[in-house]
Amino acid sequence: MNIKIITGGAVLLLGLGLGERALAQQRQATPQRYAQASWTIGMSQCNLGEPWRVQMNADIRKAAEEHPELSVVFKDAQNDTLKQRAHIEEFVGAGVDLLIVSPKEAAPLTAPVAAAFQKNIPVIVLDRKVLGEQYTCFIGADNRKIARAAGRWALKTLGGKGRVVELKGLMTSTPGQDRNVGFREGIQGSAMQVIFEADMKWLEPNARREMESALARFAEINLVYAHNDPGAHGAYLAAKAAGREKNMLFVGIDALPHEGQAYVRQGILAASFEYPTGGSEAIATALKILNGQKVAQHLTLPSRVFTRENIDQGGAWLPNE
Amino acid sequence: MNADGHKSAGLSFRLWWTHPGLRALAALLLVVVIGLVFNAEGAFFKWATHRDLLRQVAVFGILACGMTLVIISAGIDLAVGSILGLSAVFFALFSLRWGWSPFLAVPATLLAGALCGAASGGLIARLRLQPFIVTLAMMVFARGLAKWVSGGQKISTAVELADGTYRYGEAPPFIEFLNAKVLADNVAVVTLIFLACGFCCWLLLAKLRWGRYLYAIGGNEEAARLSGVPVGGMKLLAYALSGLFSAVAGICQMAQEIQGDPEAGAGYELSAIAIVVIGGTALMGGRGGIGLTLLGALTIGYLEKILSINAVGEAARLMLTGLIVVSAVIFQHRRK
Repeated sequence: MNIKIITGGAVLLLGLGLGERALAQQRQATPQRYAQASWTIGMSQCNLGEPWRVQMNADIRKAAEEHPELSVVFKDAQNDTLKQRAHIEEFVGAGVDLLIVSPKEAAPLTAPVAAAFQKNIPVIVLDRKVLGEQYTCFIGADNRKIARAAGRWALKTLGGKGRVVELKGLMTSTPGQDRNVGFREGIQGSAMQVIFEADMKWLEPNARREMESALARFAEINLVYAHNDPGAHGAYLAAKAAGREKNMLFVGIDALPHEGQAYVRQGILAASFEYPTGGSEAIATALKILNGQKVAQHLTLPSRVFTRENIDQGGAWLPNE
Repeated sequence: MNADGHKSAGLSFRLWWTHPGLRALAALLLVVVIGLVFNAEGAFFKWATHRDLLRQVAVFGILACGMTLVIISAGIDLAVGSILGLSAVFFALFSLRWGWSPFLAVPATLLAGALCGAASGGLIARLRLQPFIVTLAMMVFARGLAKWVSGGQKISTAVELADGTYRYGEAPPFIEFLNAKVLADNVAVVTLIFLACGFCCWLLLAKLRWGRYLYAIGGNEEAARLSGVPVGGMKLLAYALSGLFSAVAGICQMAQEIQGDPEAGAGYELSAIAIVVIGGTALMGGRGGIGLTLLGALTIGYLEKILSINAVGEAARLMLTGLIVVSAVIFQHRRK
């Protein structure tokens, strides 16, 4: 009996605490200006389980806060295509003034995006594409180009030759494929060879395990190229545990402020290549659209490389090709 | 079935074969032989390879220790991976962000894990709910809590300051110690923690009355109840311990990553269950032991390591893992 009362009380307290916190967050998200906001933007995010997408939302929020006339409502589809479809339809039903969608996958989300577009709601598609032309603007970066730049950087830094370990993301995903193909294009025709490659599914513990295997097999490794920064960090930890972290360079992709950029600053990674979220560009484009200006239907985001030399200057822009 | 043929195999062989520990050992040897054949240009013969696999399997093994207790009582705990993630976040918050001493951070994290487990156990014992559904709910809840507490971001030594720049702290010595190797660099500390967890479970299961109660509940819950076993209390204990071991695993995971990742441990519950079952502990409960789980952990660990040093592609790796796991289980459970 007592246990029931105690359990019940604890659940009640916890519930109250959660509710209080949620309300506080709500208040933060919708300050007084909400009433005065002249435009409401719906932001449909496909998965907040990835730090990069958390950063995307943060970038959008930060950019929107500078414009009191904007209010942004966020929804997270938790990596579920049908949930995201429902979110888009909810936004259309609520009559938002503009829709930002970062879709989980192209084909199933093309129809709901097109439906919104046909109801004269401007749609900005972020990072991943939908099929056809039924949207206002696509904003995204080019993984293959970024990976190619990483390959060229590795080539130049190592003097045209070297032994490389490649730790791949999920090779069934397009970012994984592009980051693989692009890098190979970058080192093509050189004396640089990839001696060990393995899928680490974007996860740091997996990267550490695969790197341990590479270290056990090869006495000489000059560079580790990982498809994301946590992967490069995991590889570094494996090499450090073997006392070999000084004999090789670690290169990653994404360059989030608190991940890749931080690792470069700490001297863990030799370079991290930015895969921009496009959050602030999305808000800038949204303002243009809402103010009646014309925008291009495709916007390819420029990307930066962060190295130990340039990190204090905010990185260097990759050249346009 | 040719029963006569089996008879001629002799009594001693059959006795040997009926011992589950020896069967689990045979499955492990089978996998090790694969490694001897596919040794990746000699990488399999280096001690560092074995040391690293013992490090890598430790977190899964610690989860499997708690899982063994639960499965022997004929239950299942799907929440261990999420509680691992939650504990990793808590421990990172306490030790990296707030700078607590390990003497405070470790017990607080363990308490959080044990409370999560006890909450599952309490619901299962008092309200007689299905363990599958209760721990599934806890799995989702704990993951959500981990994301909420961490704000969806990894908690690392980099701390964002008010002006948007970052300050980089050093990892506390205690975390460096957990991530280190001892005995002249030959054994990872987390491996020793795994062995210590296994020893505690062995004490409980083989030496204490509580262990016998767990077997009795798993064998026949109603009979156990009628013979005066405190079924509810014992179930609560089993799930609380499972939560506690998940927190130990979370601390080890955090120390190895030097960050608290709210996504850590996703899917680990299945690896933990696989380790327990491959060892030979019955999913129906009542039979098994921690020694078997240790062998199961080594079998899975060697399997992953062999595929990894041979740089087997992901698709082939998944198929081979499935095939070898099923072969190992068939190999073990073949009996007449």
